[in-house]
Amino acid sequence: MLVFAISDKGGTGRSVTGTNIVYRHALQGNDVCYLDFDFGSPTAGAIFSVSAVARGTPENGLHEYLRGECPQPRRVDVWAESDREGLRTRPPGAGRLVLLPGSEGGGELSALTDEIVGRCVQLFGRLEEEFDLCMIDVSAGRSFTAELVLAATVRMPAVPFRWLVFHRWTRQHIIAADGLVAGADGLLDVGSRFGHDREDLRDRIRFVRTAVLEPDAAELVGLRDEQRAWLSACDSELRELAGRHGVGRTAMLGKIPLDPVLQWREQLITDEDVLASKIANAETAAAFDELAKKIVDDSAWEGL
Amino acid sequence: MTPVHATFGEVAAERRIASVPLSHVSVELGHLYMEDFEAGPDRLREQFRRVAPWLATVRSLWRERVPGGRARVSTCFLVDDYFSRFSTPAELVPMVLEAAAEHDLSIDYLARESACAQSGGVELARLVEDRLVDDPPPETDGSRPPVKETGWLCNGSRSPRTAPLQAMGKARPWEPPAQNAKRGHSIFVDVELWDEKGPRRTWSCPFLAAVWQLLRLGLLRSEGRVPLPPVALDGGWPRDWDGLPAVVRLNPQAAPFSAYTTLSVLSPRFLPVELAVRTILSQVAVDDEVLRQVATRSESEGVRLEEELVDRISYVFV
Amino acid sequence: MLVIGEVHTGLLQNSGEISESTCRQVLGLMAGESVRVSRRPIVHALSPERLTGVDCALPAASRSRIRGVGTVVSRCAVTGGRVAQGSSYVRVVRSETDRRLPWSHYLSRPGVVEVLGKAKAADLAEGFTGDPAPGCLDLGAVSGRFLDLVQASPLLDRRAPFKIPRTSLRWVAETGEPSIRFTLHTEQERTLRLTHPGPFTPAVVDLCEDLATHDWLLTSLLVIVERARIGATPGAQAVARLAPAIDHLMHLWMPAARVEEWLTPFWESLERRPGFTRQWRSLVDRVRDQVAMNTLALLSATAEAGRR
Ligand SMILES: Nc1ncnc2c1ncn2[C@@H]1O[C@H](COP(=O)(O)OP(=O)(O)OP(=O)(O)O)[C@@H](O)[C@H]1O
Ligand SMILES: [Mg+2]
Repeated sequence: MLVFAISDKGGTGRSVTGTNIVYRHALQGNDVCYLDFDFGSPTAGAIFSVSAVARGTPENGLHEYLRGECPQPRRVDVWAESDREGLRTRPPGAGRLVLLPGSEGGGELSALTDEIVGRCVQLFGRLEEEFDLCMIDVSAGRSFTAELVLAATVRMPAVPFRWLVFHRWTRQHIIAADGLVAGADGLLDVGSRFGHDREDLRDRIRFVRTAVLEPDAAELVGLRDEQRAWLSACDSELRELAGRHGVGRTAMLGKIPLDPVLQWREQLITDEDVLASKIANAETAAAFDELAKKIVDDSAWEGL
Repeated sequence: MTPVHATFGEVAAERRIASVPLSHVSVELGHLYMEDFEAGPDRLREQFRRVAPWLATVRSLWRERVPGGRARVSTCFLVDDYFSRFSTPAELVPMVLEAAAEHDLSIDYLARESACAQSGGVELARLVEDRLVDDPPPETDGSRPPVKETGWLCNGSRSPRTAPLQAMGKARPWEPPAQNAKRGHSIFVDVELWDEKGPRRTWSCPFLAAVWQLLRLGLLRSEGRVPLPPVALDGGWPRDWDGLPAVVRLNPQAAPFSAYTTLSVLSPRFLPVELAVRTILSQVAVDDEVLRQVATRSESEGVRLEEELVDRISYVFV
Repeated sequence: MLVIGEVHTGLLQNSGEISESTCRQVLGLMAGESVRVSRRPIVHALSPERLTGVDCALPAASRSRIRGVGTVVSRCAVTGGRVAQGSSYVRVVRSETDRRLPWSHYLSRPGVVEVLGKAKAADLAEGFTGDPAPGCLDLGAVSGRFLDLVQASPLLDRRAPFKIPRTSLRWVAETGEPSIRFTLHTEQERTLRLTHPGPFTPAVVDLCEDLATHDWLLTSLLVIVERARIGATPGAQAVARLAPAIDHLMHLWMPAARVEEWLTPFWESLERRPGFTRQWRSLVDRVRDQVAMNTLALLSATAEAGRR
């Protein structure tokens, strides 16, 4: 299964959520890989705490591969190469966790050629043979990268794929996320131009809300009643807005609560962070865990 | 008990390659396009008048070359029914034969150009396309698929792309294309093999001409069989080109259609086409077994063949 | 001088095994050339061979620059409708000249790479089975693409029963005193050095492909058994994880089935050390024991429930 992670705006939590989902999926016993297609700023290595590729790899990164400058992209075994103590041993029963970093100093694609699409198809085809889940961070907004993966998936019709659109729980984000999917020259438009079936593609897209502060969250305990009432009103207004924009509950795969650790640092939330050092919230880890299951659970993906 | 030696065979697991009878040389007396036809029978007569002395020369050259002087020379004539359909076999063929006879030429075989694309369920053009092996520019190590411009074939490397593939990346300065086998300077050739409008693919004239050469050299096989063997026509000439066999034997006494070598007598206006044909043929990998068959046969009758295929093809441009 | 090759082996990307006729279509890589199929003792289908042109440095242990020009022969195979392979090789010979000849010269010698200048067979053999520098002849990439061609066939549903990496076997064959050396490198990489009596024939390639198939089977069964975490997870769960091996792999073990008689001693010596079949049998037994134990447990649980 290929899973494309996209967001309309930058800084929504796409990378942090995507990497945590992949990590949880590996803990659940699956072989997984994460492809950093965010060519303008490939920083997935930092989230996995692999300092050697924190800002991409100096050699054999994904951009170089796609541009035809190296025959195969580098693979990083996170269980072996992470600097974080808690990640460096593969937990019993966990699957493989592999990162394909972008190229250090790389830039966004500025054109799409047939060769690039061909290389992308080869890459996806091979990874899908050996990994249960391949998460591809497609970067933010309308980009050649998004076009690239839309073009590539048309050429491999039997390979299963899904899209996750990440957004924050604000007016602007909700409208933008809808625009990215259904707006002019959005995913559905461009996808159908490349040869995807519009309805089929729509069924393969779900939204994920990131850094959500629930009105009844523990963080809000100290608030005044007026503040709480205002938040509650905002929340229901947003829910109404989301429903109107097709970003509502039915199209949502899950939401990740706002977490203090993630607010301060982009990282994987391990069970140790929750149970031993207690710096992260159990709800956050549980939400990642849940999403990691839902992503392959067909009942969560039945037609809208 | 002594050990029993078992042999087990499976027909489907073996590969069988039919052999084909071969002349020494196949001479193409002409190639008729619509424009020639429209120019009237005089154009044809003129063509045959020019060809006749060359045919005589080729015959005598091969008589000298072959032990015992028993040279097998066959002649053929190709009609274009692929790029444009004109006239009918019933009208055209007798006219061609008559014009040839005026110069004492006998046409042994008549072929249709469209047969080089496909005929009788055999897509000869596809067959040849699948046998193309691109001439690799230096530093081709197999790590990447051969650089292809879909539907084109060249004799070197094309100009690299100058626009950057990466935002804020550097553009490359223009570089010329280069011929792989250049002697000091390049003669870069890039040949269009086919184009596609909607689902229909049209093969280019040089590509079909390359197929035609391979057919005449007896180097093609389809499922191990010889494709499009010549057929004698009984009954009259059909009214429709599709009713005509791909290769018709006109002369029952003719030497075999396919030959060790070919000669084409052509107007100089075909020079660019034939350069393209050579570019294509120098990148066709003929089946090993077929090459061996031809080599063994020619050796056994004392004929030394050029090792490379393109060198078995010659032309007279008049 | 020597022959070098590389075989990539993987699980055919289809939910079930494919029929002989589907094999023929999937492997029909060249118009007018048929797929060769043998049915005994296991269905084995072999595509027509195709060529790829190369002009590059050859891997040398001494890192000296040795230029080779010629064509690589490649083909694909499907064994038991389940295991797919892309396989390439070249015969390396000395060229009669020091410069590159017209391309048609090389096309009339399919599968031959001619070395321009000096080269030692031992240097090349070491270099190829060692750690080839980038930019050197990359037979693995060619084989990988041929395997892609099979895996991307529209006739396959891409719903393979389990995910498993491909393995690669890089081999070198030379003429001489018979010997064979099989080496495991990383989890997916293997090398084979083979010295055979008499001249090279394509039967040597068959042998290498057969070894690659069986090494892949063994490697994959090991992975599946490891994933099942026998003993660490409840029996029923472990058995469920072993099921794909039972359904899709266990019947495919047919060592040396397609190997010509004069080459079978090579297989036999590998059977003595490290003993491929021995390890395979013990794994298969382990899987069967798990299933049997689980069935017993189920039966007694049902009986217990009946008594109560
Ligand atoms: N659930 C969360 N709670 C609190 N902070 C979060 C949460 N998820 C993400 N963040 C923080 O939000 C910021 C942006 O996250 P991230 O880098 O993952 O976004 P992105 O969409 O990948 O951004 P870009 O488009 O720049 O790649 C980071 O500082 C991250 O730690
Ligand atoms: Mg990011």
